[in-house]
Amino acid sequence: MSKKVGIPRALIYYKFATMWETFFTQLGAIVVVSPETTKNVREVAIEIAPDEDCYSTKILHGHIMDLKDKVDYLFVPRFGSKHKTDMGCPKFIGLADVLRSLYPDLPKLIAPHYNVAKYGHTKFDFFKEVLKVGFVFTKNPFRIIKAMRKALKADKENKKKLIIDMETLHLWEQSAILLNIPPDEIKDEKTLKIALVGHTYVINDSFCSLDIRKKLQSYGADVITSEQMPRELIDEQLDKLENRLYFEFEREILGTIMYFLENGGVDGIIHLMIFSCGPDSLAGELANRFALKKQDIPLLQLVLDDLTAEAGMKTRIEAFVDMLRWRKEKHATHIPTLRVS
Amino acid sequence: MPLTFPHFGSLKYVFVSLFHELGRYDLVIPNKPSKKTFQLGSRYSPEFVCTPFKLTLGTFIESLDRGADELGMGGGHGYCRFRFYWQVQKIILEDLGYDCSWIRIDYESTRDIIQVMKSISVGCNTLQTIRAFQIGWVKNRLTDLTDQLLFKYRAIETEKGSSKRIADEAFKLIVSTRKMSKIRKLQKTIPKMFAENVEVDKKANPLKVVVNGEIYVVLEPALNLDIYKRLNELGVITKTPVTLRRFIDIGQRLNPFKKMDFQIANSYGVKYVPYRVGGETQENLGDAVLYKKKGWNGLVHLYPFTCMPEIIARSIFPQVSRETDMPVLSLVVDEHTGEAGFQTRLEAFVDLLESKREEMLKKRKTKIASH
Repeated sequence: MSKKVGIPRALIYYKFATMWETFFTQLGAIVVVSPETTKNVREVAIEIAPDEDCYSTKILHGHIMDLKDKVDYLFVPRFGSKHKTDMGCPKFIGLADVLRSLYPDLPKLIAPHYNVAKYGHTKFDFFKEVLKVGFVFTKNPFRIIKAMRKALKADKENKKKLIIDMETLHLWEQSAILLNIPPDEIKDEKTLKIALVGHTYVINDSFCSLDIRKKLQSYGADVITSEQMPRELIDEQLDKLENRLYFEFEREILGTIMYFLENGGVDGIIHLMIFSCGPDSLAGELANRFALKKQDIPLLQLVLDDLTAEAGMKTRIEAFVDMLRWRKEKHATHIPTLRVS
Repeated sequence: MPLTFPHFGSLKYVFVSLFHELGRYDLVIPNKPSKKTFQLGSRYSPEFVCTPFKLTLGTFIESLDRGADELGMGGGHGYCRFRFYWQVQKIILEDLGYDCSWIRIDYESTRDIIQVMKSISVGCNTLQTIRAFQIGWVKNRLTDLTDQLLFKYRAIETEKGSSKRIADEAFKLIVSTRKMSKIRKLQKTIPKMFAENVEVDKKANPLKVVVNGEIYVVLEPALNLDIYKRLNELGVITKTPVTLRRFIDIGQRLNPFKKMDFQIANSYGVKYVPYRVGGETQENLGDAVLYKKKGWNGLVHLYPFTCMPEIIARSIFPQVSRETDMPVLSLVVDEHTGEAGFQTRLEAFVDLLESKREEMLKKRKTKIASH
């Protein structure tokens, strides 16, 4: 009988979903991914999770509770970093230990550790960890290697599809193309361009982010997210800071905001922050201060936590979009008069 | 250009003497943070950043107003937000209209420490810089020793305030002594000073509580509401294994015959958190096991609100406490922490330890009687 491995749909699952799923299916395991976050999951999570964890980590506890009776193994990797200096979140490394300590009755945890920045792990170390995980499911090392190759290839392809190139970005900035297919009812309206910035696991979790992507689209806005941005642009922007921003997931967020503040190209930026997220607090402050200095691009920062009410957020987003539309129209009528004079 | 640094408990004296060794006498020694410092800091800080950020920003603003224009701070990269503080603080202070330059030290790399110190010194060559650095770490051993003695003697002194007076004298002595041979001698002089000048209640049978947690909270009395004094006044001997020597005491780190406290604690903590997650998570968890073995009665774990590594420790502490039978009190500290609430919790914790000890004694007595 093939073994069931459970993956909670939270945190870095959103970054590595294809890689993990391909790997485990290739090994012949049945992959059980917990369903999308619901109100129920959130309520469970808030009740049992440690009080001071950030909102997204709390949600993970809810997903774990959802999975724990259905699977033989839980996959909670300790992902440190894959860069020489940049770190992921320390909470991700300690997550497996916290879970094991809080809930002794969990199924077996599979928690490989990979950390280039502090442990100097090489590709060989990565391979060893992969073998360790693989031997849980099969005794054939060649099958593991094959699965790893396929998983890495799938991940690469997925990233290629997700991250747009410079040319597409420039075309989008000039309103020549749309990145998303707009809903039918608003096809004729002038579309706004909005950059939606935040952690991958916030933007893609439709419950936590209050379905903001769909909402923006239904208001007639075309959305670019921070995960779609070309990496070289982000690195180029962050080199302007004197201290390297060493949080790997935060780099794309601050980099995107800095890029759009400098180059224009969008009508507005929406930054989704998670309450008590460490890197967000500093990057959010920087973004705020940069936006105050460059006032032509409006920036809306929304802090999400377990007490966030949907109605209040909806009003704020609507007001922001209305303001953007009004600004754009005003701009449009102003430019011709300027040309005449 | 007057130089300043954040107020950091008794490490202030180490920094002062270190800069004196480097030939920098133009220091603005930071004042002890007050309520106003907290207010200043949190007014200009991000909303949910950890408390040390707010306190250091407040101290910097106060020092800048007093004429400083060179600020010393940690830099580099690591698990924790601390290394990125200065970048954000710099932009905040620039927006507030202050003109200042920054000295940033990657304190985990010895090479970087020496390079930076050489660049700020007044005409020191590399060897002199290393010598000054050595004096710094040896003096840090002395301040740690003084603190340890103070936290012990204050609990059992008969005349209130006498041990604090001696500790202040000792700190003055540490700063004013310049010669290495004389500094080494202080290691024996300071315990003697306490033993001779402080009258102790010899009948007292005090409880022993170890305090650990995030380094800035543990070492800065303004932030932890002087928890050591509060515990001492309740008649409890305290101690903290947390020290900056972990990064700067190269002498002891290179000594193959001596293990530093944190290394021993780490070997116990690895069982609960096998990989480093930053901060002092592994050491703090290990301390509970280690100090239980040493016969201490309890542990207080301090951390600032939203501190990332310590939240992991806090989540695992219940398990450690259960397995080792070591009572643990985790306390979150931030600028809104009320004194009364803090005091009540400490009192309750000490009461609990007291009753636990009595129970143990009773059990032991009945065991002996039955034999």
